[in-house]
Amino acid sequence: MKPKVAFFDFASCEGCQLAILNCEDILLDILNLVNLVEFREAISEKAPRYDIAFVEGSIHRDEDIERLQNLRSRTTVLVALGACACNGCVQARSNFVAPAVNYEAVYGEDARNRVQVDADFWSLWSHTRVRPLDAVVKVDAYLRGCPVVPAEFLHLVKSMLRGTTPYFPPDAVCVECKKNGNECVLERGETCMGPITWGGCNSICVNNGYVCDGCRGTLPHANIQSHITLMREHNIKDEDIRSRYRLFLGAEPIGRGV
Amino acid sequence: MSYHLATQQNVINWIRGLASENPVYFPEKYGHASYRFAKVEADSEIQFEHYTPTVLPPVKLLIPAREELLSFRKHSDGKTEINPTLDESFRVIAGVRPCDLKGIFLIDLFLKEGVADAHYLARRENTALIGWACTAPCDSRVFCAAVDSLHHSEGADVFITPLKNGDVLLEIKTRLGEKLAAGTDWQPCDDGPAKKVGVVASMQEPFGRTFPVGVQDIFKKVAKNWKSPIWDKHVERCFSCGTCNLVCPTCYCFDVNDDMNLDVTSGNRTRTWDACMLPHFAVVGGGHNFRPDPAARQRHRVKRKFEYLPEKFGHGAVCVGCGRCGRQCTAKIDIYDIILDLINEGERS
Amino acid sequence: MNTAASRYDRIARETFIPQIGKIVEVADMTAKDRFFRVVLENPLGHRPGQFVMVSVLGLGEAPISISNGPTGDNILEMVIRRIGRLTRAIHELNVGDELGIRGPYGSGFSLDDFYDRDVLFVAGGLGLVPLRSLIVPVIAERGRFGDITLISGCRNPAEELYRDQLERWTTDAGMDVIRLVDSTENMPWKFGTGLVTEPIPKMTMDAEKIVVALCGPPVMYKFVIKTLMLRGVKDTQIFVDLERRMKCGVGKCGHCQINNIYCCQDGPVFRFSDLSAIPEALQ
Repeated sequence: MKPKVAFFDFASCEGCQLAILNCEDILLDILNLVNLVEFREAISEKAPRYDIAFVEGSIHRDEDIERLQNLRSRTTVLVALGACACNGCVQARSNFVAPAVNYEAVYGEDARNRVQVDADFWSLWSHTRVRPLDAVVKVDAYLRGCPVVPAEFLHLVKSMLRGTTPYFPPDAVCVECKKNGNECVLERGETCMGPITWGGCNSICVNNGYVCDGCRGTLPHANIQSHITLMREHNIKDEDIRSRYRLFLGAEPIGRGV
Repeated sequence: MSYHLATQQNVINWIRGLASENPVYFPEKYGHASYRFAKVEADSEIQFEHYTPTVLPPVKLLIPAREELLSFRKHSDGKTEINPTLDESFRVIAGVRPCDLKGIFLIDLFLKEGVADAHYLARRENTALIGWACTAPCDSRVFCAAVDSLHHSEGADVFITPLKNGDVLLEIKTRLGEKLAAGTDWQPCDDGPAKKVGVVASMQEPFGRTFPVGVQDIFKKVAKNWKSPIWDKHVERCFSCGTCNLVCPTCYCFDVNDDMNLDVTSGNRTRTWDACMLPHFAVVGGGHNFRPDPAARQRHRVKRKFEYLPEKFGHGAVCVGCGRCGRQCTAKIDIYDIILDLINEGERS
Repeated sequence: MNTAASRYDRIARETFIPQIGKIVEVADMTAKDRFFRVVLENPLGHRPGQFVMVSVLGLGEAPISISNGPTGDNILEMVIRRIGRLTRAIHELNVGDELGIRGPYGSGFSLDDFYDRDVLFVAGGLGLVPLRSLIVPVIAERGRFGDITLISGCRNPAEELYRDQLERWTTDAGMDVIRLVDSTENMPWKFGTGLVTEPIPKMTMDAEKIVVALCGPPVMYKFVIKTLMLRGVKDTQIFVDLERRMKCGVGKCGHCQINNIYCCQDGPVFRFSDLSAIPEALQ
């Protein structure tokens, strides 16, 4: 029996599902091995139970929580797909802004004033804390990154097919950066989230001349204090350090604490 | 085996000639202020002037970050076929500084000892090394002289020493070196050793950073310090990112991983660089971690370079003083500072 | 070039390339430990206390203790606990399935250290598995040893390994067998409760004549050794079997290095006097 696989999304750009669709060279081989029952980006079919559910997106509203809990009850394995599902991603930045301020920024002052007096809109204000999936339900595996890494997706699928646990080593981005022979970002006079960030991305951003923004979340052993000291030594203002941390880590405890 | 004289241009032409026939790797400048060993192409710049040690040492060309050890296939008759994956292609690594030659020399010892590492051996024995003597310290961080690697040339097939007049002294050290030098118009030189001594005598003193004691005394001091606040002091800022291991010319630890192809009948086994500073390096099956604490891992790394491997192999320090680990550590931890602290700690107690 | 090619190929086959073993028997020992008998293409030729690198091709490889005595044939016996990805996958295998096997590796025990002495085996949990490869040849030459005692401890009655074997050893091996559990956890159990250290102070023991072989979880060693030393047993008379992470088995990958020793080559069996100056060994 081929395992029933489904994809779902919450608040996200669906870019991770696209990243998987982009693995054209292996996608057909994978589809031979699984039974894809739900994939909004590609097909539309409903099933009552799944073996593996890939869930993209972060959790914002009460109805999201209900939907996710329902999903959890219908799947054997739940995989958090991408940064939104693993650690909240960029939208978790709004955790640090008052809901009304956010609303005003998007819809303008008039709209904000109107909805504040209209009780039908009040529930909006309670809906704005952005959470990763594991703040709501148990997550069995994490495919980190914005977007996810096809090689990790493939490793996970193969592991699930063999009934084994996928292994993603808790190594900093620096490990792959060195393996790729990159000049350290610090050598270029820039700062980097690499030393505290989960690797597995093959240091793709640094390989291409950019810096690591930490989209894959902080490592369990991350030495945050040391990283802040490092940023300060590079004359980064505390305000900007905070901003770097909140770019992708706004829903992580560390993003709130810095 | 023999000494010759040539101009730098002679040597550059020679290397270009070699590169037209075989892959030749030579240090090239890249990024903002870094160097790396890159394949010499027709338009590559070849210059023997000053350069800081490459981001990765040349020995890593012989132990790639990820290499296939074997591939396997289950045939339809039920038989499983397993074959080693070996790279026996020929290559030349040129412009290798004494510290890096020492690194390769030590890795030779480690990986050929006991049961030889076939995959390393296949690459190493099909690699020619062209060394280049240092006459001035690369930068202020090196301490090659202090760990006896500044004058290392063993393992090079041809070793080049720049002379004061701008020409170079070429020392052909092996049969392979002779083969590489065939057809060159270098002038035979009768007083090669004396010329070399002259160059060494005119080198600046001290050369790079120094230690107040010699290598043998460093070993004693390092061996004495098991419980020391120094280990804690130098990991306060450590990210446990493994950079110090990964850029080290004498680190060779590896992890092994299997992969199955989607056809579920074939796959391969690869090894990748591992690092004893990574938190999970010493975790066993049941989950117990024998070195959970970064200070214990740091102590292991330092003692491996200055106590364990020197004791086991008897070829001096297993740190070549290239300064890569300290230069590239994002937390500014420098093995030189640790050793210096250990030496001074010994003085106090 | 051809001769060189075959040389690297030969060395690789002697080191990193596993031979294929066929599983001929599988039996549950406890809820999480399973016995495997494997027939190899070539004789194993192992010493007691050695280990093999076992792989499920495409998944991974890990060091596993050999549990059968050194018979010189091509039979390999192991007891594998389900603790990680690889061991879970091995537990899925059945008779007729294949395993990749490299080795045997490590120093192992030498019977010469045990002849004409009283022998004490102390096994904690899975530690009984490698010790069995020593107990079997010792019993086979029973007359060449003095008193033989085995203290075998585990967490609870359900976790005891080699139950039938322990029964037989108790009745007709000429060996004192002390079977202990940390707690009966309300399961039927007609033997003792307590830690493996507890019988040691009460044993009749000739501290000069005894040799001890010790294998168990890391936490056990310190306490057992301390207890033995209080009885006057010297560190030269104690052999320990250590567990470390290993990726190659041939002293290259660096994972099993404890100070200046490589567990895979210098061990996993060590005379304790060789470890006493090595603080990390028993941590």
